[in-house]
Amino acid sequence: MISKDELAYLAKISKLDLSEDEAEKFPKQLERTIEYIDILAQLSSDDPIVLDLQEIKFDELRDDVINTSGGRPINKNLTEDGFLKGPKMK
Amino acid sequence: MSNLYDLLAFEVVEGIEEGLFTAEEYVCSVIKRIEDVESKLHSFISLDSEGALSSAKLIDRKLKEKENIGLLGGVTVGIKDNISTKDIRTTCASNILKDYVPSYDGTVIRHLKENGAIILGKLNLDEFGMGSTTEYSRFMPTHNPWNLDYVPGGSSGGCGAAVAAGECTVSLGSDTGGSIRCPASFCSVVGLKPTYGKVSRYGLISYANSLEQIGPICRSVKDVVMIMNIISGKDMNDNTSISSSPITINDKSNNLDIAIVKELIDGSDDAVTRTIYSTSEKFKEIRCECNEISIKNLNYALPSYYTLASAEASSNLARYDNIRYGFDLPIDDYKWDNYFSNVRKNFGEEVKRRILIGSYVLSSGYYSKYYLKARRLRSLLRLELLTLFKKYDLLIGPTMPILPFKFGEKIDDPLKMYLVDINTVIANLAGIPAITLPVGFSNGLPIGLQIMAAPFEEQKLIDASYALENTINIQRRPNLI
Amino acid sequence: MSLVMIGLEIHAQITAINSKLFCSCRGNYRDLKPNTNICEICCGLPGTLPIINRKAIEYSTMISIALGCKVPNKIMFYRKNYFYPDLPKNFQITQYNVYGFSSIGAEGIFELDDSKKIRITRIQLEEDPGRIVYLEGGMNVRNSALIDYNRAGVALIEIVTEPDFTNPKEVRLFLNKLSLILEHLGVCDTLLEGSVRCDVNVSIKGGNKVEIKNINSFKEVEKAINYEITRQNSMFNRNIKIDSETRHWDDRKKITFKARSKEEEHDYRYFPEPDIPVIILGDNFVSNLQDHMPELPNQRFDRFVSKYKLSEHTSNILINDKKLADFFEATLKLYFSPMEIANFLITDFKSLIEDDIDSSDYLRNLKVKPAHIAELVKMIEGNKISRITAKDILVKIFDSGKLPSEVANNTNSFKISDEKTLMDAVESVFNTEKCAVEDARTNHEAINFLLGKVMKFTNGRADPKIAMRLINNRLNESN
Repeated sequence: MISKDELAYLAKISKLDLSEDEAEKFPKQLERTIEYIDILAQLSSDDPIVLDLQEIKFDELRDDVINTSGGRPINKNLTEDGFLKGPKMK
Repeated sequence: MSNLYDLLAFEVVEGIEEGLFTAEEYVCSVIKRIEDVESKLHSFISLDSEGALSSAKLIDRKLKEKENIGLLGGVTVGIKDNISTKDIRTTCASNILKDYVPSYDGTVIRHLKENGAIILGKLNLDEFGMGSTTEYSRFMPTHNPWNLDYVPGGSSGGCGAAVAAGECTVSLGSDTGGSIRCPASFCSVVGLKPTYGKVSRYGLISYANSLEQIGPICRSVKDVVMIMNIISGKDMNDNTSISSSPITINDKSNNLDIAIVKELIDGSDDAVTRTIYSTSEKFKEIRCECNEISIKNLNYALPSYYTLASAEASSNLARYDNIRYGFDLPIDDYKWDNYFSNVRKNFGEEVKRRILIGSYVLSSGYYSKYYLKARRLRSLLRLELLTLFKKYDLLIGPTMPILPFKFGEKIDDPLKMYLVDINTVIANLAGIPAITLPVGFSNGLPIGLQIMAAPFEEQKLIDASYALENTINIQRRPNLI
Repeated sequence: MSLVMIGLEIHAQITAINSKLFCSCRGNYRDLKPNTNICEICCGLPGTLPIINRKAIEYSTMISIALGCKVPNKIMFYRKNYFYPDLPKNFQITQYNVYGFSSIGAEGIFELDDSKKIRITRIQLEEDPGRIVYLEGGMNVRNSALIDYNRAGVALIEIVTEPDFTNPKEVRLFLNKLSLILEHLGVCDTLLEGSVRCDVNVSIKGGNKVEIKNINSFKEVEKAINYEITRQNSMFNRNIKIDSETRHWDDRKKITFKARSKEEEHDYRYFPEPDIPVIILGDNFVSNLQDHMPELPNQRFDRFVSKYKLSEHTSNILINDKKLADFFEATLKLYFSPMEIANFLITDFKSLIEDDIDSSDYLRNLKVKPAHIAELVKMIEGNKISRITAKDILVKIFDSGKLPSEVANNTNSFKISDEKTLMDAVESVFNTEKCAVEDARTNHEAINFLLGKVMKFTNGRADPKIAMRLINNRLNESN
């Protein structure tokens, strides 16, 4: 069962502020989903093979070449010195 | 001739090249159509009529000067609003990206433009592709053109509705757990989810990277082939993309061994089941063998899908902190983590639920209980399907277990909403191609047939679909006005 | 159980690389205007995907081989999920070992010296975050922070050791050897600002492990450990429980301080990176690389001893300073006299450059090149100049960069072997040093005194052998 504390913890590590309404109804909704996926527990857990869908050969990887022709990736204003303003750290 | 906007993609290219009409005339017809029906459908988040008209004029000029107008010259394409388009706002139907204008084109967009396609605008979806109705779009829901009280399916609901209603020639959607096939089925159009890796994902805003592909939603199988051959291929910007051979339209279908998946039939509404069975009879007309088989790991598919999709989503959506791009929210005086939480409360409820579930299944106490088990099921399911494909060319069943439903029917119960994806997630988990084809109606509501094939066997899907399309006679255009 | 257990987590940037780990921006972000070395990918724009740099895998494999690690056939990348403003995607693409290893190196054994081995837990390849800049005035008085993403996505190697070190000196030795290896491989310039960082965990007497984070140079590591051992010992002696905690190193005050408890609450939610397929290195990957990779310090040492017949002591001095060893070998190519050149370099030459040794480019900026040393040693061995003169000439060419022969000519420094000139000098000394001459007839020691006088008269240029013969002749004559 997802408790309100557990929900608060999940919200914290996910950096989500939940509204009162959400904090109220989410535990039950998430609980239902988790009960539903609990069926996975029936799968045998010996040797948890992970058959990965995709492989790539070393030789196919990108060459170590500089290319600086990209666009302007930051959509926000920079300071005069070129820095991006972020929220304070402490 | 009927209205220009009714034409299929290959008819548009032929018509323009042969001088039956100009690209401008065609685009004007499409724009007029949008003006007529958009207020009822709400397919578009952004519409670039001016850009489309000037692209059309350019094509006409090129044609006059005997230049190549490209394989898709004049075809109007609607793009699901989770594919990055340079200088066109790309929102994912989310408030968190409502002001985001990308600085680059996704690979599929580049391919379309290079081949003369006209990017008409951006189409509505459930926020970040999470949903099956477009009701989770943070801007508005899209309506089903076959009955405006009903959902168009999702998450690429804007794509399904716009193509069905003639608001664009074709559209590109994305399919993580059925997001192309669900709306294509609900809107009675053709939708293909390609083999994982066949189409570059560069520019597709990730919801669940290991499951999703970009694919076409069209009004005919022929158009699907046309678009697929333009957008597929290995891309240096996507390490998961793989090169593959082009697909073609063959006039005679080969003798294909087809199997109906019993579990998909058993879980469906009667109206759906009846149509699928009668369609399977049609396969005999096109000289295909049809048996019934069982997939034993199917019970676990949907739980596995939601575990993996949520896990990846919780990580993919972490980047939306409004620092580098986003909307206007002053940072002054916020401590950074409070700022992040405050920004991110702009996600909609469904997105928040999936992020929370994703964090839950990945967190240290639960990783092996959920995430690893889901990975394991995924491997088992893929192995089982590959084995079946040694015996059968194609697996079929209903795309959706139910008919399109009314707005609000499932929105209050997330689990009920998840369950509508039960037939479509199989192909995403296994990385195999799957197509949906309109095969009938019940009470005026569309029913789609899903066909799945082994990895990179798109040609078999197309052969069967094309033959079936020519055999089945159903209404192609909704009576909107 | 040993009294002190120390383990290391070292981060070293692959500074030799052209482009970043997952995009084509410059790998060398230094001295660039903030946020000018960025693109859609390293800024984590929606829809972009990481495109891995092949060279980074090659370099990190070389490091793994050098540190005695196993390199698997297949490697994988993982996501480490945590929020921080310097992390554009709010997760870091890194490697992680569960259920068999997937990182580029694992289970290594590194021989510190004949009696001590250090186990390397794993070596992983990952991306560097951007930088948060703290301006003068401190963070607390400002209402925002400044971010520069130029560094974001630069290729970084993390080397994790088992807690096998028992004192700070072993750690220093390890870090020195590691620096030397990285330098020999040519993958990381450890002297570049910010190119290496180190986390250290320390426990005493089997107690709780304390982690010290973000020590920004190898030099500070030993100091931080010493401080931490002292701190823990004094707590232990006062019966204060040592908590398992994270601390930071303050390199101005030279103390460790406790991190705010919040920073410890991390649940990184690792899972395999879906955008990077499993990378197949292939069976011959390691052996091929081994054949082509640069010589490692221990291999070079063996070669110096066996091929050049240098003493172990001399070889060590040269190899512990890679640039000096390179200089040595470049000189050998011009004039092959290993022992003479080696000795000249590690004594006279090294004493002159010792002051500058901290700057990474000290040899490159030097005006004296291998050609100078080759010529100088050739002149010594050809008996053209004396060793003393050679040292004087070295001092002179150090600032000017002139060739030794030119300086020797201009300053009349060549040895005088002309007998007539030397005879004049002997005559002159015999005239002024009459007492000594008398003495020398009976006392052999006094002959050396006369030789010294002749040398002094000729400013040290007289060929001592010829001068000695002439002195003896002259003594016999006047008998």
